[in-house]
Amino acid sequence: MDGGDEGSSVTASHKTVELIRDSAAVVDLTGKVHQLPCCIKYDGPTSVSDYFKPKSTDMEVDGLKVEEAHFRGRKLHGTTIALPEGYSGFILGKKSPEEKNPDCWETRATSRNVTVWNHDDVPSKDDAFVRAFHWFAVSKTLHQTVTAEDLESTCID
Amino acid sequence: MGSEGLPPLPKWASNPCIMGIDEAGRGPVLGPMVYGCLYCAHSYQKTLSTLKFADSKTLKEEKREELFENLKADESIGWAVDVIDPRELSAKMLKKNKINLNEISHESAIGLINKTLSMGVLLTEVYLDTVGDTEKYRIKLSERFPNIKFVVAKKADSLYPVVSGASIVAKVTRDRALREWTLDETVEELHRSFGSGYPGDPQTKAWLKDHKHSVFGFPSLVRFSWGTCTSYYKDFVEVLWECDAADEDDNGKTNKRQMKLTSAGFTSSKKRKSEEIESSSKGRCKFFQARKLELLSDF
Repeated sequence: MDGGDEGSSVTASHKTVELIRDSAAVVDLTGKVHQLPCCIKYDGPTSVSDYFKPKSTDMEVDGLKVEEAHFRGRKLHGTTIALPEGYSGFILGKKSPEEKNPDCWETRATSRNVTVWNHDDVPSKDDAFVRAFHWFAVSKTLHQTVTAEDLESTCID
Repeated sequence: MGSEGLPPLPKWASNPCIMGIDEAGRGPVLGPMVYGCLYCAHSYQKTLSTLKFADSKTLKEEKREELFENLKADESIGWAVDVIDPRELSAKMLKKNKINLNEISHESAIGLINKTLSMGVLLTEVYLDTVGDTEKYRIKLSERFPNIKFVVAKKADSLYPVVSGASIVAKVTRDRALREWTLDETVEELHRSFGSGYPGDPQTKAWLKDHKHSVFGFPSLVRFSWGTCTSYYKDFVEVLWECDAADEDDNGKTNKRQMKLTSAGFTSSKKRKSEEIESSSKGRCKFFQARKLELLSDF
């Protein structure tokens, strides 16, 4: 996730990541990005929508609307979290191998939310994933330009 | 809990009543497990034994259907069912704190008794087949319902007509439920030749073989918690759950699965080892540790 503008790129130790959003070229996967509470040792396409059928429930915990689904016989409880204004979710893939730089990532799809699933447990505001979103507010405050007035008001006489 | 065919409380129900409880579909690897009960006034017991109910397994399907229709029409008999969805069976048996099939069965029987009592039926005797240890089960039930006399017996379905009747209610309901089952999955190649659902049935075996999926395992009609399913796991993509990893630690077995799966979901790079995942947030601010946030420079 990054608050980057359209077409921006991030470079870190010979790696490049191209972030594109709001473009016709990338797929919008809003509502289809799921974070499961398990490690699936497979990387590739599969018929998710035919097998994975989340259903909404009447339950609400900490203001989070609870959904339920089953995977490999386990009951999952989840909630869909919208990404805050100014942020976007990016699904990245490595650029084709012909590329000179093998560590070059491109945007395959974007999403405006993510559904986080727990095994058995209902979602709560105390879940690490939900709490990770606190970073946005902290980051914003940390990076805000400090004005003369701010300094003055925090000054201890 | 599913139920149907419950008429307004008849007059006889305020006299002492007996109830039989039996199950259908405990063994099958797919479809629901059904608990059924049948109850009537004590005084009707003699008539009941003339109705030719027998252990449902010894009867042909048409005969069972016929007897079920008869008992439904009989105003001196009450009945109810609890249809336990295969998804519920799998989910409970694979919970972080696993609930075994015997406990699920006990709770279902207890649920049927509660339901009947809350309708106002004066239950004084309940007959049922044993699930697990006979005496322990009887004590468990007697503690829950001190005013009811419980008879827990092996083969109760062939010993007591009221249990035979309950076995017909359960068996017919299970067969119908499976026949009319709406598959959750929307894959085109699904077919409905389930067979009996018993693991040894060649038709059931063929159905399982036809419907296995490398990532999702099986359609949710299948009870994933059944031993039969494990033989197919070699064809499936490996899936690791955090609670299973903890199980292995408890047993003192290998630690190869011991890793923070919550982190593994984000980072699948083979270069990273579990120790790295665990230690990566060490020395970092508590704010990040508590949120399992880490700085990712290598991906």
